[in-house]
Order: sequence, then C-alpha cells, then structure tokens
Amino acid sequence: MLQDHLHDFVKKYGFTGYTELRAQQNRNRAVSMLNGSLVSNSSGVSKGISARVVRGGAYGFASATGYGEDLDAISQVVNAASQNAAFLDDHVRRGEPDFSPVQPFTRKDGLEHDIEVEQSYLLGIVDELDSYIAERFPRLLSRRVFARVLDMEKLLYTSDGVVSHSFVPRSNVYIFMTAQDKDGQPVELYKVLGGYGSFMDNFKTAEEYFDKLEKQHELLMQKAEGIYAKPGIQTVILDSDLAGILAHEAVGHTVEADFVQTGSVGGPMFGKRVASEKVSLVDIAHTAFGELAPVPVFVDDEGTPAQDQMLIENGILTGYMHNKESARKFGHEAHGNARAYDFSDEPLIRMRNTCILPGTDKLEDMIASVEDGYLMTDMNNGQADSTGEFMFGVPLGFEIKNGKLGRAIKDTTVSGVAFEILKSADMVSDTVTWTNSGMCGKKQMIPVGMGGPAIKVKINVGGRA
Amino acid sequence: MKKDFAIKNQAILEAAELVLEEIKAVGADEGETWVSHNVLTELYYELGKISMVRTVFSDKVSIKLLKDKRKGTVSLNSFNPADIKQAVAEAWQAAQSAAADEAEGIAELQENLSFSSGEEKPDLEQMYKQLTGLLEDTKKDFPKISFDTIGVEHDYSERLYANSNGVRLSEEVGLYQLTNMFMAKDGDLTSSFNYFATVYEDPSERVTESERVRRILDDTERQIVTDQFEGSFVGDLVIMPGCLENFLWYIGDIYLQDSALISGTSPWKDKLGEQIASPLVNFSLAAEHPNLPGASQLSGDGYVAENMPLIEGGVLKNFSLSRYGAARTGLQRSANSGGTFVFDSGETPLEELIGGVEKGILLGRFSGGEPSPAGDLSGVAKNSFLIENGKVTKPLSEVMIAGNLADMLRDIAAVSQERENSGYWLLPWVRVKNVTISGK
Repeated sequence: MLQDHLHDFVKKYGFTGYTELRAQQNRNRAVSMLNGSLVSNSSGVSKGISARVVRGGAYGFASATGYGEDLDAISQVVNAASQNAAFLDDHVRRGEPDFSPVQPFTRKDGLEHDIEVEQSYLLGIVDELDSYIAERFPRLLSRRVFARVLDMEKLLYTSDGVVSHSFVPRSNVYIFMTAQDKDGQPVELYKVLGGYGSFMDNFKTAEEYFDKLEKQHELLMQKAEGIYAKPGIQTVILDSDLAGILAHEAVGHTVEADFVQTGSVGGPMFGKRVASEKVSLVDIAHTAFGELAPVPVFVDDEGTPAQDQMLIENGILTGYMHNKESARKFGHEAHGNARAYDFSDEPLIRMRNTCILPGTDKLEDMIASVEDGYLMTDMNNGQADSTGEFMFGVPLGFEIKNGKLGRAIKDTTVSGVAFEILKSADMVSDTVTWTNSGMCGKKQMIPVGMGGPAIKVKINVGGRA
Repeated sequence: MKKDFAIKNQAILEAAELVLEEIKAVGADEGETWVSHNVLTELYYELGKISMVRTVFSDKVSIKLLKDKRKGTVSLNSFNPADIKQAVAEAWQAAQSAAADEAEGIAELQENLSFSSGEEKPDLEQMYKQLTGLLEDTKKDFPKISFDTIGVEHDYSERLYANSNGVRLSEEVGLYQLTNMFMAKDGDLTSSFNYFATVYEDPSERVTESERVRRILDDTERQIVTDQFEGSFVGDLVIMPGCLENFLWYIGDIYLQDSALISGTSPWKDKLGEQIASPLVNFSLAAEHPNLPGASQLSGDGYVAENMPLIEGGVLKNFSLSRYGAARTGLQRSANSGGTFVFDSGETPLEELIGGVEKGILLGRFSGGEPSPAGDLSGVAKNSFLIENGKVTKPLSEVMIAGNLADMLRDIAAVSQERENSGYWLLPWVRVKNVTISGK
C-alpha cells in the first residue's frame, strides 16, 4: 500500500495554480507455461509520481520513478511540470482560464482488496491447469497457460482539494489450445478466465475451472473440423462478448470527445438516430446492475467524481465521454473519463466499462429466427476508425441454417460502419455478460471492461470466396 | 558507434554490480540484469493546438536468476540498494517454486563493448519549430488534413546488460521520434485515420520534405469520399511499405520467432534452407544500417546483434530465435531477434508494378484480426484504392481481404524498385496475387 507522503508535501508547499499530483504503483505478475515448460516467471513494480500543471491552457507534465518521504524529490517533479507549462505558455500565449474548481472531497476505494499474492501460488494454479490439459488432451499440438496479475493503486491530490486513494485489482488466466485440422494445419482457440479481484479470490482452486477446459477442448475439436465463413454481408448474431467489443470499438471510440473534435463520425450525429430503438449504450463508471463493474472508476485522474455516461439512448446519440477541457468546450458535464495507465502517463479521455443494455429477446429465439447466417461467439482484437468503420477478429463461430446451429467456422474478421450495423439490430437478448481482460490502446494502454447482450445484425464477414 | 566498454552514468553500473553481487549472495548459480536510465521529452499536439510539454525520468532494473535451471525474474524502477536487494530476494523466491528447464541459461562471455548514437540533451526549441513547421506546411500544401495528435519526442537512454559470466554490454541512444494520427476532412465527411511514424537524429529536418510523408498525406486527402463495391473476387494486392511492415510482424510471430517454434505450430519449423517464398523475396533484420537509426545493436538476451537475412531469394535462411528459443528447439541462436526490417528493392518500377494489375487493391493499411497459427488472416483494407486495368481508379471503404501469409509470400509477383524509410524499416511495395477481396 502506498504511504501518503503527498499530504505532507501539500501541507508544506501547497499548489501554485491548477495542479494534479499523483503517486502510483502498478504491480504485475506473470507466469506462462508453454507445452509444460515455464517460459515466464516474473513480477514487477512500476512506482513513481507525476505532476500536471496548467498555465493559461498550456499543460506541463513531469514524472519520476521512486516515491517516498523525500518531499524535495516530489517538489522537483512539480517544478519540472511547472517549467514545462511555462515554456509552452510562453510560446502559445493561449490565455485560457483555469478550470472551474470542484467541491473538495476525499475518497478511498478498493483499498481492502490490496492482497499480495505469492508467485508460488500463481505457479501452482498454472501448473495444475497445464497438467490437467496435458493429461486429458494428449493429442493437442500445443498448449499454453498464462496467468497475469495487474494491481493499480493511485493516490491523487489536486489543487481543488480533491484527495482520492484507489486500488483496482485484476487477475486473469489465459488458456491457449492448438490442435491440427484434417490438413495438418494448426487451429487455435483461447479462453480467458478471471477478471476483477485478487488472484487468490478469482482462482481459489484450479479444479473449479476444469469444466471450462473440457468445454474449450470440445469447441476446439469442432473448430478443427470447421469451415471458412462466406465473405460479404451476412446475418450474424454477435454473442455477448462480441457485442461488448462492438460497444467499445465501433461506437465508444467515435464518441470520445477528443476524437469528436478532430472529426470522428460521432460529431455530426449528436442528437440523431444512430441505432435501432432497441439499442442503448452506456459507459458505466463503477457499478452495473447492482454489482461492481469490471474496471470500477470512482474518481478519475483529473479529480472528477465518476458517473455513468449515457452514450446512446433508445437509438439516439445522447452523450460523449469527456475530460475537463472537452467538457468545458462542449458545455457538457465531465463524468470521470480522464484516465492514465502508469505514473508517467498523463490522463486521456478513455472508456471505463462500455455496455449495451439488455433487451427482451431469448438467444434461442434469435438463433431460430435466422435462415442463413452465423452465431459468432468469441472475439480477439478490434480496431476503430474515424469514419465509424470498425473490425474485430472472430476466432470462433457457428453456421446457422434454417434456425439451427451448424458447423463451426474458423478464424475470421467482421467489419462494418458502426451506426449502420446498430441500425440493423432487430433483436437484443436479455442477458448481459462482461469481459474483464481487455487493454485498450490509445497512446497508452488502459484496462477496460466490455459488456453486452447478444445482438442480431447485418455485418460484413471477411470470409473466403 | 562501437567502442570499448564504458558507462557514463555510474549509478547504472553500481546498480548492476549490486544485482550480480546479490544474485551470488542468495545462492543462485547464475544471473543477468538490464539496468537503464531514460529521459523522455515530449512535445504534444492534440485538439488543434500544441497542448503539452512532458518530461519522464525513469530508472529501470530487470533481474533474472537461475538455481539448478529454475528461473525467477523481477523488474523494478529504482536504483535504491534496499529495493534491489528485496527484488533479488523475490526473484530467488520465485525460482524456488519454478520447475527446472534445461534450456535456461545466460549469454556466454564475449567482448565487452559499448554502442552510442544521437544526443543526450533534447533541443526543445528545435522540436517546437519542427512541430510548428509541420503544421504550417500541412495547412499550406494539404489543407484537408486534420491531425488528431502529433508527438515530437526525444528519448534518451543509457542501458547496460551485465551477467554473472562477466558480460558487460551497454548502449547510449538519444533519438528523436515523430508519431501522429490524422485524417482528412471536408465538411462532415471524413477519411479513415492514417499515420506515419519516423525516427531520426536531427530535429532541424523539415518533416514534409520527406517524399514518404507527402505521399501519405496526399493519399489521405484523396480518401475522403470513398466507393464501395458489391460481391467478392480473387485479385491482386499491391501492399504499400508501411502496411508491408504490419505483415512482416505477423510473419515473424507466426513462422519465425520463439513462441511459434517452441510450441511447434510454425508451418516453417522444418523448412530451413527450403524455398518458402517467391524468389523475389529478400528480407532481413538489421542491427546496423546507415539509414536506420532505430536499429538496436544489442539483443534482449545479452548479445551483440548482427545484420541477418531471414529469407534470401525466397529461401528460408534463418529463424529469429533467442538463446532460450534456440536451446529449447535444438536450433541455432539467431544473430538478430529484433524488429528492424529491411526488404530488398526489386526490379519493377512502382508504376509498372501497379500497371500489371488487372483488378485489385492498392493497400495502405490493414486493420485485421490476429492471424491464426496457420497464417490465415482477414481484415479491412484501410486507406486503400481500387486498381482496375493497371490504373488506380478510386478510394475504397468497407472492403475486406482474406488470405494466408505463407501463400501470400509465395504469391509475390513483383517487388518495386522504390522503397520507403521510416528510420525503423526500409521497405518496398509488393504485388501479391490470388487474394480474396470482398465488398459489401
């Protein structure tokens, strides 16, 4: 747990002008076994402080590794940030006023979850999972079990009098299995386990995941017998994992206010219909459906108290995600989307937990309604574009013929223009699931949660002719 | 520049020596460490203005130790002796729980050397002039371009590799880098995002004097209004240099590097010395190149890297394996396991290369899913144009391509005489036959 030396610094020196001062520690652990050999067994700590100072609209940022009771070291970072702001202010002479002050408050969130796990514990779980796969599925071409822990702790003081100390744990195990298809070509399928919480909370025993390993292997065997999808526009049910990445990649990025200002397609569509009335989309701050969201943010890294940000309400684009500066420019209220990954990173406008809200349809009815199309169940990476065009990789899906599930399909990619796809959504399932393993890249990486129900859409599939 | 081993920042050397002393003291058989000090200075443009000056000071230490071939690794960002001692103790604890792996080890004793390039101190005034120059030139010559972000950075680092076999290798590098993301706009109409990254030693260079930069900005301005087509066809891809880099990363990952070879999934695992690509393919990794300041002369596992061919005349010459990967697979350690790509020029002028395409796509950027271990990939053609009867006819959107990486390498029908250089890579345009291209 970070000791609060910033309090002593602020008491002794105070702040001159708008300043954010942050101490941060990211703790990570990784254990990776490839075909039974331990290829990674590492832990690490990234700890330091940063200061961001604003002068007349010019930002100065500085950071340094190390954080302790040496108040002079903290002072040097604040001074370096001030000098950077002064350099830029001298050159640009923007003359913008400081941000309107917020009411001072102090919060502590998630500190009770700061539970250090021993490396040997990760090794034990990974070894058990790997041994189970090796024993049960000896004909696999390869297997990899990879455990990862990322604990982010932040202590923030702002010149407005905001004090926030937060701890957000995340722990995952990734299981990769590779088999050979009938032509001897490798076919892979991976699953991610875990999410918010300490490794010991999420992985009390390896045994509780054995059923999931069995299921994954069964799906991999189906994929090895699978076919390539047909190319072109198809009727596709995007299962909940894919709806979550659709919410993030296809829509979320286009309504981040920085992208809106540089010309994303979300700009001219504000207040207009961008989806069918069955679609509502929200970026959740910390609590969803009565439970903690995958990546809870209670106070962002500019000191703004976090609230949910409605983005699409019954098909109408109603909101953007903001930092303090963009909120002032648009005349909107900032809801806490300014987030930084490491101590040395400045806050950027980022998503937290984007989620398409559930509808009323049952997944089985949705499948039954498709004459010729696909159910796509798994996703990997995704990308967005300023035009609203997006893509994401689909490592597993199934044909649907005459309302019934058929053969598995091999790796493919789906793409489309977000608002057109969402306008085509005519069925939305009643069950939301979350993923909590994703990292979003935008200058910096950041953990995000993604959630959604299954949705039925028309979408372009990158298949083989 | 290569020279006798010397460290400028003695704190780096002291931290490394302490790590090795502690590794010995806890009872490990052998160990290694990377110790570095970095200063990043960044001038940042976003939302239509130069918004921020950022300075990041960072110290980093990574430690690996082995006991009976059992491994523990730890990283920290402090040179504080107490922190280092604690980190070595944690690595020792981690090794106790690990299984032995006979392939584990550290670099053998070799000549101790140091390498240096660039300047330690950034010229912030010159960086400011370079950024404002880019904005002025773009406004004048490419008025529809709208930058989302531009970062002009100077990254200085001095880093040292030291191990218990007595190896000491260091590198001191101070380079400038320009990164960006932009689009072209006309009213409410918007092109796809595009970008160019470049690394260089002299910040007084005018960015828009680069032919590569001008081409990318010009292409993007012509991509505001795009066409789509219906149906699918099998045609040719002309892959632009920046996009080719993307495919070469995939090829390294799927066919050539540690993970694919250790797991046995690489379709090329038994193909060393065999023809695996078109005879036109000559692809190598650079460690030292007069036009590629981004190349690193140190490998991640404690060796001096060398220029190394991967594919020559379409024949697989080398894998890109670390010491560990080589020991695990029984193959030879590669002289280079980095990512500075050089693809030799071909004999076909670019105009002729495009002129030979009956129907296909000039591919500027590929936005795709992770390729499968078999090399199958599919994704969206971004910043791209349709080619019909040898002519670039119109910009495209909502077009997907699908193929297999190994097949694509075999199906390379032409390589351009012209190449582009980012400071990290030196690559031509290539024409690939038989790729599935699908519209709406």
